[in-house]
Amino acid sequence: MPDPIHSIEPIDLMSSILVFCSVQDGRIKRSSLEAMTRARDVASGAGLGLSAVLLGSSAHDLAGEAMSYGAQHVYVVMDRVLDTHLNAPVLSALESVVREAAPRMLVAASTESVKDILGALAVRCDAAVLPDVASFALSADEVSCQRPVMAAKKLANTSSTHSLVFVSVRSGSYEAKQAPADGTVVEVAFTFDDATLRQTLKEVVTTAGDTVDLSEAQVVVAAGRGVRDENGRALVQELAEITGAAIGASRAVVETGLFPATAQIGQTGKVVSPDLYFAVGISGAVQHTAGMANSRIIVAINKDPDAPIFDIATYGLVGDCFTILPLLNAALRDAMN
Amino acid sequence: MQAAVQTGRMVLNAYDASAVEEALVLNAENGDPVDLVLVGPSTATETIRKALAMGASDATHLILENAEGADSHAISALLASHFDGHGYDVILTGKQSQDTDAGLAGAMLAERLGLPYATNAVGLRVEGDSLVVTRQGDAGQEIIVLETPCLVTCSNDMNNPRIPALKGIMAAKRKQIATESAAAPSARTAVAGTVDPPGREPGVKLEGEPEELVADLIRRLNTEAGVL
Repeated sequence: MPDPIHSIEPIDLMSSILVFCSVQDGRIKRSSLEAMTRARDVASGAGLGLSAVLLGSSAHDLAGEAMSYGAQHVYVVMDRVLDTHLNAPVLSALESVVREAAPRMLVAASTESVKDILGALAVRCDAAVLPDVASFALSADEVSCQRPVMAAKKLANTSSTHSLVFVSVRSGSYEAKQAPADGTVVEVAFTFDDATLRQTLKEVVTTAGDTVDLSEAQVVVAAGRGVRDENGRALVQELAEITGAAIGASRAVVETGLFPATAQIGQTGKVVSPDLYFAVGISGAVQHTAGMANSRIIVAINKDPDAPIFDIATYGLVGDCFTILPLLNAALRDAMN
Repeated sequence: MQAAVQTGRMVLNAYDASAVEEALVLNAENGDPVDLVLVGPSTATETIRKALAMGASDATHLILENAEGADSHAISALLASHFDGHGYDVILTGKQSQDTDAGLAGAMLAERLGLPYATNAVGLRVEGDSLVVTRQGDAGQEIIVLETPCLVTCSNDMNNPRIPALKGIMAAKRKQIATESAAAPSARTAVAGTVDPPGREPGVKLEGEPEELVADLIRRLNTEAGVL
């Protein structure tokens, strides 16, 4: 790990793309590394540098990982208050880093924590924002992007000619690829007055079963209305266990309480793009498919042969999930061994 | 406690409907009024009537005929000048609009007004002078205590918005809607048009006996898809 330095060679204004790396369970999120890979390509095409920012007490330890994806400067803000997400201190920390780094763009993965701060940070830093994009590019005078609108039925070609542009990137839009750089860690001074917070994080309630992070998972097993009850849920859990999958759900079965709200996939929930997605008893309304249509292989199991999920499924199995899943679970167990 | 709600345009957004519902529930006990404000073209009046019919007291319509060209930056600037000096305890907004899904205007407004805020709320309750917000975060539900005045953006998972009863609809028709013509502040982003998302490769639909379906699927996952 390189030593931190407190004064660095002056960076020209607008000389870099700065990537905010989200940290979860002691690692940089895959979606952040995807965004960073794209930012690296865009920066190199435009003759800009690549920097990263990491927040929290593990920031320094993770700087090396950011460098392995090409970050030449890694700004770290080490305060423990940043170990859990609370918007006021995160905003303060990122504002300090943006002022110090003076980037052309700030790029981040479109996580719930990033969605929480992006608008306010833009007002604070006098930036334009292109949120939740599926792709982005930078030319001499503008940042352009495509972003899903109307529950992802359309992609809007959106752009900004503002001098500072923030972009948040949907998970799975790009592939994360390493390209090591000789980087420097820059510790950014940060003081935060609790008295000015006007907000307190009391607790974070996690649900048992959130063992695999949904938005990062390579395999997702998602349940819909066809998974009627606890017996159906047990079959879904078994399939997830066999395939090492995270469990997702449509809004219908979150509303009934059968699955936790953290499992919800779709326009109002999480966006996932795993290698393999099992849609079990999910009809495939656009509000759901908006969150999963970029999955590589989609296996749909539904007894209604006309269910719209079959329009996007790689493999559609017409049948009742209560009949199919026990057979599939047994066959997968054999196949995995 | 007074609450104000920013509604969407033309059709009441599901997220905004949840914000209206939550404001009505919050104020039901103390009888304080719920005021509405909407930015949008004059044709959006029906949207306001719908929210009034749910039980809101007063409404202001900031008329912006060319709302298409206004982004979150512009909308939040308009709303900030509306709220300046109003002194609401709580401002609720939907967490995003259902058409653009940008999800920026709420936090932008809070920042412009210098208010503490929480986004993507799925639960709210009053505790003394504070608001206890449950928000859906990345790894679970975050329970946050906000001092009032504050701003909260609401998820549609927060409640089931009431369907206005006939009495409410009739009463809403008699309610005054204050109108102001809004000058469009300059936007920082521009939409050049929309395109269809890239289509997926056509898949295969497997029909037949369950045992055959499963065997066929496993074979395809192994050989074609290479995911097992």
